[in-house]
Amino acid sequence: MIIATRKQLEVIKEMVKGYRKVLNVGCGGCTSVCLAGGQKEIDDLCTQLTVSLKGDQIVFESAGFTVERQCEPHFLEELDEIVKPYDALLSMGCGAGVQFLAERYPNKPVFPALDTVFIGVNKNIGWYEERCKSCGDCVLGLTGGICPNAMCAKGLLNGPCGGPQDDRCEVDNEVSCAWVKIYERLKAQGRLGDIMKVQPAREWQDQVQGTLVLEAYRDRYAKKEK
Amino acid sequence: MPGRGSKSVDTDQIKALLKKNKRSMKLRLAACAGCTLCAESCFLFRKKGKDPQYMPSYKVLNTLGRLYRKNGKVSRAELERMRDLLWKNCMLCERCYCAIGVDLPKMIAFARRILRSQGIEGIYPHSLGAPEGEDG
Repeated sequence: MIIATRKQLEVIKEMVKGYRKVLNVGCGGCTSVCLAGGQKEIDDLCTQLTVSLKGDQIVFESAGFTVERQCEPHFLEELDEIVKPYDALLSMGCGAGVQFLAERYPNKPVFPALDTVFIGVNKNIGWYEERCKSCGDCVLGLTGGICPNAMCAKGLLNGPCGGPQDDRCEVDNEVSCAWVKIYERLKAQGRLGDIMKVQPAREWQDQVQGTLVLEAYRDRYAKKEK
Repeated sequence: MPGRGSKSVDTDQIKALLKKNKRSMKLRLAACAGCTLCAESCFLFRKKGKDPQYMPSYKVLNTLGRLYRKNGKVSRAELERMRDLLWKNCMLCERCYCAIGVDLPKMIAFARRILRSQGIEGIYPHSLGAPEGEDG
């Protein structure tokens, strides 16, 4: 899931302090699960902002409203009437949610209260680890389910760099070398041959916004364009 | 709105929300024939030993349906039970379908909204529960 963390209060204050009434929009999806942008976090931030700005003698009102998912337009419909009296919106969704809000309400400033940090897993309550870089070219089938892109500090695709010390990454020795882990996993599965399959250099230059329309739905949208 | 940890229920607020979508929601609730065809479309129902409490129709009828039947006059305990049905028993993955076109996810989302208005929000099974010391 998408993992996000809340920005520092001072940073958020700086964004919204010029607006008298701000609606803080939460998200019931990923950012709720990672305890960054759900109903509780909304309530906490509204309180902190109001108290802090009041202390700075700044007139400020905020209210919170959580939608199920900010990344789906039909869940934003209920906001249409609610946003009207507000001067600006503060989103506690991920980067995608912030942009969807901004797109839906182009005449209202929309500010991100969170930093979207990675696609990751939930190790335990409050503990999240990155696992995926959404590179669009998954090689997990060849690396025993360990992503060399996300787990190797250098993103190497064809084995370790020669720098690991005691199986630790030379970039950060708090972290295991991903390729040592890949080797051990493949060895345990009897698939060491996969490690010898050379991967070509990754194409990084295509950074244009991605769009995916599932084949089963292409006719539906093609008809609408006509 | 009752705050987090509050024991009270703002019935007027619930009634106002119910009234807002009364026509469309009551039509959907009335349309439910209890055919249980929606059950097979719910992956949680299929994975949880076909426990009827995971059936989309069950979830909707025992949350939103109950709220409309009682015109919002529910106790805090009833809302807490609804929370489990709406969040623990449902991911709002929107995979569920109804043979006659009742919009089940929309009804779940609306019921969740009503509970949030009372300071009640979900326990997410995949996040291993709420932080210690906090309720849900």
